[in-house]
Amino acid sequence: MKSFEWTNAASLDEAIAQLGTGVMVKAGGVDLLDRLKEGLESPRRLVNLRGIGGLDNIRSSTGDDGDLVLGPLTTLAAIEAHAGVRKRFGALAEACAHAATPQIRNMATIGGNLVQRPRCWYFRSADFNCRKKGGEVCFALEGENQYHAIVANKVCAIVHPSSVSTALVAYGATVKLKGKAGERVVPLEQFFVLPDKDPRRENQLGADELITEVRLPAPAKGTGAAYHKQTEKESFDWPLADVAVVLELDGRTCKRASIILGAAAPVPWRAKSSEAILGGRAVDEHAAEAAANAAVQGATPLAKNAYKLPIVRAIVRRTILAAAGGAA
Amino acid sequence: MSEDDETRGITRRSFLTGTGITVAAAGILKTTEALAESVKGGAAVGPGAVPVSLKVNGSVHQLSLEPSTTLADALRFSIGLTGTKVVCDRGSCSACTVHLDGTPVCSCMTLAVDVGARAVTTIEGLARGDKLTPIQEQFIANDAMQCGFCTPGMVMSCAALLARNNKPSLDEVKTAVSGNLCRCGTYPKVFAAAMAASGQKLPRGSDVVTHAAELHFESKAERPADEPPPWPVNSKLKIVGKSHPRLDGRLKVTGKARYTADVRLPGMLFARRVVSPHPHARVKSIDLSAAERLPGVKAVMIVGRGEGAKLRNPPKVADKFPLVLYAGQAVAAVAATSQSIADEAARLVKVEYERLPFVVELDDARRDGAPLVYPGAVDMGGSAGGGGAQKGLAQKGNVRGPSKRDKGDVDAGLKAAELSVDGEFKTQVQTHSALETHGVVADWREDGLTVYASSQGTTSVRDEFATVFDLPKSKVRIITEFMGGGFGAKFGAGSFGILAAQLSKKAGAPVRLMLDRKEEHLCVGNRPSTVQTVKIGAKKDGSLTGIVVTSWGNSGIATGGGVGWMGTSLYACDNTRSEQYDVFTHTGAAAAFRAPGQPQGAFALEQLMDELAEKIGMDPLALRDKLDAGPGVPGPGGNDEATRAARKAERQIGAERFGWSKRRPAGADGGPKKRGIGMAQSMWGRFVDLDASCEVRLHRDGSIEIMSSVQDIGTGTRTALAMVVAEELGVRVEDVAVKIGDTQYPAGPSSGGSKTLLGITAPARVAAWRIKEQLYKAVGEQARSMPLKKAAAKMTTEHLSAQASRSPDYGGDPHGGYGGVQFAEVVVDVETGVVKVERMVAVHDCGRVLNPLAVQSQINGGILHGISYALYEERHMDRATGRMVNANLDQYKIAGAKETPEIEVVLIDQYIGRNATDIHGIGEPANIPTAAAIANAVYNAIGVRVRELPMNPPALLAALGKVNRVKEAKR
Repeated sequence: MKSFEWTNAASLDEAIAQLGTGVMVKAGGVDLLDRLKEGLESPRRLVNLRGIGGLDNIRSSTGDDGDLVLGPLTTLAAIEAHAGVRKRFGALAEACAHAATPQIRNMATIGGNLVQRPRCWYFRSADFNCRKKGGEVCFALEGENQYHAIVANKVCAIVHPSSVSTALVAYGATVKLKGKAGERVVPLEQFFVLPDKDPRRENQLGADELITEVRLPAPAKGTGAAYHKQTEKESFDWPLADVAVVLELDGRTCKRASIILGAAAPVPWRAKSSEAILGGRAVDEHAAEAAANAAVQGATPLAKNAYKLPIVRAIVRRTILAAAGGAA
Repeated sequence: MSEDDETRGITRRSFLTGTGITVAAAGILKTTEALAESVKGGAAVGPGAVPVSLKVNGSVHQLSLEPSTTLADALRFSIGLTGTKVVCDRGSCSACTVHLDGTPVCSCMTLAVDVGARAVTTIEGLARGDKLTPIQEQFIANDAMQCGFCTPGMVMSCAALLARNNKPSLDEVKTAVSGNLCRCGTYPKVFAAAMAASGQKLPRGSDVVTHAAELHFESKAERPADEPPPWPVNSKLKIVGKSHPRLDGRLKVTGKARYTADVRLPGMLFARRVVSPHPHARVKSIDLSAAERLPGVKAVMIVGRGEGAKLRNPPKVADKFPLVLYAGQAVAAVAATSQSIADEAARLVKVEYERLPFVVELDDARRDGAPLVYPGAVDMGGSAGGGGAQKGLAQKGNVRGPSKRDKGDVDAGLKAAELSVDGEFKTQVQTHSALETHGVVADWREDGLTVYASSQGTTSVRDEFATVFDLPKSKVRIITEFMGGGFGAKFGAGSFGILAAQLSKKAGAPVRLMLDRKEEHLCVGNRPSTVQTVKIGAKKDGSLTGIVVTSWGNSGIATGGGVGWMGTSLYACDNTRSEQYDVFTHTGAAAAFRAPGQPQGAFALEQLMDELAEKIGMDPLALRDKLDAGPGVPGPGGNDEATRAARKAERQIGAERFGWSKRRPAGADGGPKKRGIGMAQSMWGRFVDLDASCEVRLHRDGSIEIMSSVQDIGTGTRTALAMVVAEELGVRVEDVAVKIGDTQYPAGPSSGGSKTLLGITAPARVAAWRIKEQLYKAVGEQARSMPLKKAAAKMTTEHLSAQASRSPDYGGDPHGGYGGVQFAEVVVDVETGVVKVERMVAVHDCGRVLNPLAVQSQINGGILHGISYALYEERHMDRATGRMVNANLDQYKIAGAKETPEIEVVLIDQYIGRNATDIHGIGEPANIPTAAAIANAVYNAIGVRVRELPMNPPALLAALGKVNRVKEAKR
């Protein structure tokens, strides 16, 4: 790791004021240190956000049943353990509980989780100058692509590294961004960008912006949600596929479905056809199976990752049924 | 640390040896407040060392650190608290776990400058003085450790759990350590320790050890007159055969056990190698000047020795620089006053390469016209074991061999068969991934070379250093106090070790060269991937008429990619043929790995034996009973009478405990999650290392010590030697001081081939017996009836000393084999392709059981290695660039706590009376059958054979026909 300047920001504004070329912010620092150790980046200065108070709150916007508001420095462990989150946003709690290791969940923040860089092994190795680093090649397209994207994978085949965002997008989360020009609120789904636009980035966070809040709208009455991360190992492992399902139900009938696939695309991927199949239908085995089959229609698997298709089908079907079964 | 340090008044020397100014407890409060202030706001500091205060284990340390210094490095190198281990250095393994205000975090992913006022607790800070915490005590009592390198992290994870939950469920325990990797497979005992520390027991299984049978095959051969008569059976002994916790357990659970990575000598420099990113290249030029100019750099050198096998006809004119034969091969090295300076200097070395064609996968390398690893025929001592390393074998392209083993007339045997089974099986590359990477601290001085080495063979390492540097053995000393796992890859000096010694000589200072995690995957060995075809001919009654094994192994730039001798020796057959080929690729040298070749061989053979049983209509156990009823297979590692009797008992006991009678037809379960059971057998040779010596001393005050250069790879060697000596001398285990891991003591055996205890316990007993005889001679026969201490007091010299070396087995060759039977229960999710092993029963023999607790740990470890191999581990090579893409510990997947099944270990005492103790090793036999047993269970679950490893979702879903895998040349 190359040496750098270190500052402890006293406020978000003070941190934002310092942002610029060669300056990086540090929240939990987990993903950042990983990249610095590999030599993928060598910032001139690190701006530490951890000393700023009040950024790690979990609260409800009104009473006990308002929007869920997460401070950007809230750790995944805190979210996982929070009784209110477990009760009202169970799929989010599940996603946090299955991220990384217990140690890392104690360190990693929700804000950092959303802007972490991909786990693609070509990207993570300084030996490969891939498209994401400004190079001309996506090595995964013809190379070792077992764990890569099965849709939207023509330019750069990463999968988005945040399995927590799979649940957040399914809940319709928004992020508040603050920069030198002021604040803006962006639906998380639009926050992430596909490589076709710019393979060098995974989101639309501006160079002088920080995530200052993550907000999940209060679930409608009759909402059922579930999350499943399918891994090879149950101890710390990256997902082969993960899925979050949020269903607005009227009895067994689905009024609205939100189905997001993780580890399938360079961004959390909305399974629109699956959602359409469930809309207005009673959620049963047949509906779940039809929706699951639709989830991977049109997928373009690479040479070594077609095995993901049956996995996605299986976990989408199971998770739809779990969400329907767990409706409040 | 940068060049600015000197000007800031902090000498590099003080950085190295720890600058910590420890503030007395009284001053803590005030300083802590100041710390809290310093976290808030403020101007930029660094680059260059900045003042950092850390409150560690109740003391405040004022340090001067680069802002880029991790908490782990600050603790280890600045404060000197080396109990915190760095393994993956990326947050994937939790070995570096410390508590920040009670919360467990990875200290390798925490910057020291970011700790602020939070209180740091390390493994050294858990105990209150001499009083261990309950979790530490239970780690010792349950033997929740082997090599011990993961132990501090494991203890810290458990301690944090117990602090917030005083009655955790087993599942909560597993979750708490789900980020902690252990390569020795101690998970079941970690669970037991955590449950016991909270006053609970495991539900069932994992803490039971049973001696189910005693088999006697006492040798009628004469023993030498200067050796004692055989011990009686264990039930008549006081210490041997009863569980005893490790003598060094306390050092391991307090972080005080000192590993090579922890060694710090005055003036010690840190080294880093410059490695080639290209798999095959000619080095055109190397420019060291920028590295040499970097302040703090003390020595820079170009690597002069090539790696790999030797050409039989070497070219007359050698290249200026050794040819690069794999990505990761070192071309230069630097030594500097800190690791960060060394790393930076390594980056500054400019190397110009001429890239050459390469091939990295087994199937690709076998093809006509494949790029050649060697331009002509080569020879090399087998680095991977398992056959294929004889000299002078034929070589065509990258394919060398075959190494042959022939018996009878196989063609006639197969012709005489009434039915046959055959198949092609593939296994993957598995890297050793010991938690402590390979490394040394080399200290070259006028009067000799001292090397602290993470080694599993102090003597073999010494011999290689002596040979390479043309030094007399008397001037080379190897010290391995503790070592963090080896598994077959740590017998030699290593090219890195040679480099460290050269740098030390050049710089005139001790040099520490520990490989990083990526290098560990690339450069120091692996279990070769293999393709093998096996055909078995049989009669309808199950008797075998012929077995043919043909294999190709990816041995990288080395030799020894064979599949062992399971196919030709596990079951008696008059006609067998084994032809094993090495295939060279531009990848790191294969190396011996826990029963080299045998797990690969078992994976094929034991699946086919089950297929044969099914074809004949016999139960798999009944078929094996029938085969073992016939004549055995003589020779080393063979299936002799004692072995077959043990195997038969093991099948019976295992079947009963496991519930084999409930086995259903293959694929009987409806629904997506299908349950199945299977079994497989193990066999290993009784390899006796005669180069196994020790010295026992008895002092006049009655104290006793035993000395040998033998090392502890995780076996529990110290405890084993103390138990044997204590038994013979009639004293307590704790009364015996054990001094090992140092070549200044009599030469002990290497820890390979499961030879450690089979080699060293017999001379340990003999030496202890000889001490007694000397004592009685010295002080009179009446002393025979006295307590040892009282008799010793009558000695006229300060101490008596007796040496002993391992004598050949009474009755001489042939040595038979020994082994075990393992049963597995799995659940296969046929929709996701995920296999989960839920339960294992392992019934093993290892001669006379010395310490059931330790044997159980070894068997757990063999099984965990086997599960990890069967289901998860795989080296991924990028074929376009020839580089390994998952050289880490998150994408190279090793079984963790939640992959650990319930394991029941049953031991059989076998007294064969062929040496002074009858004690055997168990490391290897415990690993051989696991993947095969799981494969047979998978078949029983789903009714489809999976003939490749790992049996992961891509392989399972392909076997189930749920996905058309693009035809690819894998491995």
